[in-house]
Amino acid sequence: MDWFYIKGILILSGINLMAVLGLSLLTGFTGLFSFGHAGFMAIGAYVTAMGTVKLGLPFAAALLLGAAGAALASFFIGRITLNLKGDYFCIATLGFGEAIRLILDNVQYFGGARGWPNLPRSTNFTIVVILNIIGIIILANLINSRHGRNFKAIREEELASQTIGINVFRYKMTALMISAAYAGVAGGLLGHYLGFLQPKMFQFIKSTELTITVIFGGLGSISGSVIGALVLTSLPELLRTFAIWRLVVYGAAVVFIMISRPQGLMGGYEIPVGKIFKKLFSRFAYGKKQAVGGGKQ
Amino acid sequence: MSGFLQQLINGLSIGSVYALMAVGYSLVYSIMNFSNFAHGGVIMIGSYIGFFAMTAFKMPFATAFCTAALGTGLLAVLIERIAYSPLRKRNAPFLYFIISAMGVSIFLENIIIASPIGPTFRTYPRVFGAEPFVVAGVNIGRLDVMMFVISTLSLIILVFIIEKTRTGMGIRASAYNLRASALMGVNTDRIILIVFGLGGLLAGIAGVLFGMKYTVYPQIGNITLKSFIAAVFGGLGSLPGAVIGSILLGIIETFTSGYLSSQFRDLIAFVLLIFILVVRPRGLMGKITEEKA
Amino acid sequence: MKLLQLKNVTKQFGGLMAVDNVSFDVERGSIFGLIGPNGAGKTTIFNLITGIYKVTEGEILFEGIETNSMQPYRVAELGITRTFQNIRLFKKLTTYENILTACHYNVRYGLVDAVLRNKRFKAEEKGLLAHAEELMNIMGLEDRRDVIAGNLPYGLQRRLEIARALALRPKLLLLDEPAAGMNPDETARLMTLIKEIRDRFNLTVLVIEHHMDLIMGVCERIVVLNFGKKLAEGTAGEVQANPKVIEAYLGEEEVVVC
Repeated sequence: MDWFYIKGILILSGINLMAVLGLSLLTGFTGLFSFGHAGFMAIGAYVTAMGTVKLGLPFAAALLLGAAGAALASFFIGRITLNLKGDYFCIATLGFGEAIRLILDNVQYFGGARGWPNLPRSTNFTIVVILNIIGIIILANLINSRHGRNFKAIREEELASQTIGINVFRYKMTALMISAAYAGVAGGLLGHYLGFLQPKMFQFIKSTELTITVIFGGLGSISGSVIGALVLTSLPELLRTFAIWRLVVYGAAVVFIMISRPQGLMGGYEIPVGKIFKKLFSRFAYGKKQAVGGGKQ
Repeated sequence: MSGFLQQLINGLSIGSVYALMAVGYSLVYSIMNFSNFAHGGVIMIGSYIGFFAMTAFKMPFATAFCTAALGTGLLAVLIERIAYSPLRKRNAPFLYFIISAMGVSIFLENIIIASPIGPTFRTYPRVFGAEPFVVAGVNIGRLDVMMFVISTLSLIILVFIIEKTRTGMGIRASAYNLRASALMGVNTDRIILIVFGLGGLLAGIAGVLFGMKYTVYPQIGNITLKSFIAAVFGGLGSLPGAVIGSILLGIIETFTSGYLSSQFRDLIAFVLLIFILVVRPRGLMGKITEEKA
Repeated sequence: MKLLQLKNVTKQFGGLMAVDNVSFDVERGSIFGLIGPNGAGKTTIFNLITGIYKVTEGEILFEGIETNSMQPYRVAELGITRTFQNIRLFKKLTTYENILTACHYNVRYGLVDAVLRNKRFKAEEKGLLAHAEELMNIMGLEDRRDVIAGNLPYGLQRRLEIARALALRPKLLLLDEPAAGMNPDETARLMTLIKEIRDRFNLTVLVIEHHMDLIMGVCERIVVLNFGKKLAEGTAGEVQANPKVIEAYLGEEEVVVC
């Protein structure tokens, strides 16, 4: 296993993580379940590709455009579906996700069902890592603010949230649009990593995978989502020798997780990254002082 | 005019098979309030059982047909025991059921691909003869007629069970209020198993018919998503709704591919889904549920 | 001065008249009681006032502003908030987080401020934390600060729900059966608490209750409902002496209580 191969897996994990982070805000923190996020990834992917190939934009600008495109689409979808009750919202997103894919199948401008080859391969390891770090920081800052608390309140008790003055519809919309933007970036990265796009890449099953990853990591935990995306993307890749059996194992594992550890890996808790850093740093500083003082306490 | 009738009959026949599948979704939804996405996998397995019973085991059609139905009935019950009943005991939210169902569906699809059966497309042997009936200048395929007849008969038997038997009363009571039924002495655990068994039986029948009409392949379950749409269209949880929704969807689909373009056939189903959810989320005949403040 | 006015309010669910032509005024600064047998329409009136249900006919005025067509969150912004009969806390959040979440309404920093962690965010967030701490202390919940709300004992859950409501700095507080499930001792303490918070926060309180001791003990004015209709209105003494009330409600209630 060479570094090139590992890097490839990490890039794919990072791309999935981007989409999973967004979905984590929607599902883990706001309590809305979507089976259509592959559709937002698709929109992001195609709009980004349009940006780089047809409009000649730099990659970063095209990615932003892709994110905006996905968010805009989610705005219209949210307008008509966010008032639906839980499982119906879920089904509606499924419908939209599939509809987006089927429409792309028929848009010859983008290559239709045959796909869109020869995209610039602009996505690299550094870009993926940087974007994910930015993505995590934005999400963490959002969660640890009054807005984050409002998202969680809606997840816990919608009616009570309204009576303490939370505009539930607006917050749901915000969560949906932000999560769609993340998915859009993930789509843009994916197309420009693989060098081609095909509507088939964004099937219903892709949306399911994203939701499964969020649940596997633990609802309401950013670190859980990170670990979930890394594990669930890289594990099947590393089990290549298994080849055809890995999806069988995957399906069985999903059922097993649901019936044995439904709270996911992290169960709503976070790894206190900030505290660990501080501790490491302070220990380091303390060690230096000791060295200077040259004595024991 | 004869073209129109032709399309209508095609639509009816495919719609009636959708109805068999949609009823399975709706039965489970009516009692457990979640969308059982493993149903597509069960239908796919039914299609394979029927196929191999007829080809590898040289069974006559009727025997193969019953074997498939019984096989999937058992499979559906097994799935309930393994993948849902632990969640039920814990009162898990509906999403966990859906995810668990997805897991089952991924498992079933890929175990077929990974097994010696493999991902190849297989064609059922011809059972009902090739030349169509000709009525008033319209060609009616024998298979289409049989699909419609078998589906309708199955649905009538199902309605009889639900409306006229003691068990059926238990099912209706549980659909109305599962917890209250349990308190009133209905063995809801048994009812749930029966509901999955019934859904499974119908899934097997639908699988065989579907396989005969098209081909058999591991991703057949994805197409059954459309019967789920039909169930939503008719109103999740309502059996008459599922049937009407399915027939309508079948007809709309055949007309779309007949008069517009076959590429829009799949799209129209999803557009319809979104439309109905926006305009009337409880579907044509679904029950109204309102949260009490 | 009238804070809240209900004018000929009617609410119909299909064929059922849940609230039938009810009118009453609530004076600013008063503690106002709403009583009646089960199904008399008390909670429905709360749902109408807070905008969860829309009135079929009539109007509801708060400080002279019609609230009929407002979304619940808009009504909350006007200064009306409530507790629920079947406690609705943010169950998986801690006591502190429950109160802190409800404080949100007093600050205005936006999403971008939150992401950038700028000065405005830090200053306003600091204010929120202080406000939440203060409320927790006033309500005597400080020793349960980090307990998950769903794990609090019943009485404290009710108390926390009131604390969360107070975090909005409301003008009108609606309490839906705050003493349900409490023993006489706890009920007595709740009575004192209601009076205390009224004085301390300049509140007007509208309370639904089945505990007659509590209602008669704290309410300055009482409306009696039966089958969605207003049966009587007056002070505790007047209502108790009203023969219609005795016949329709208090007599019946005695039987139920025993």
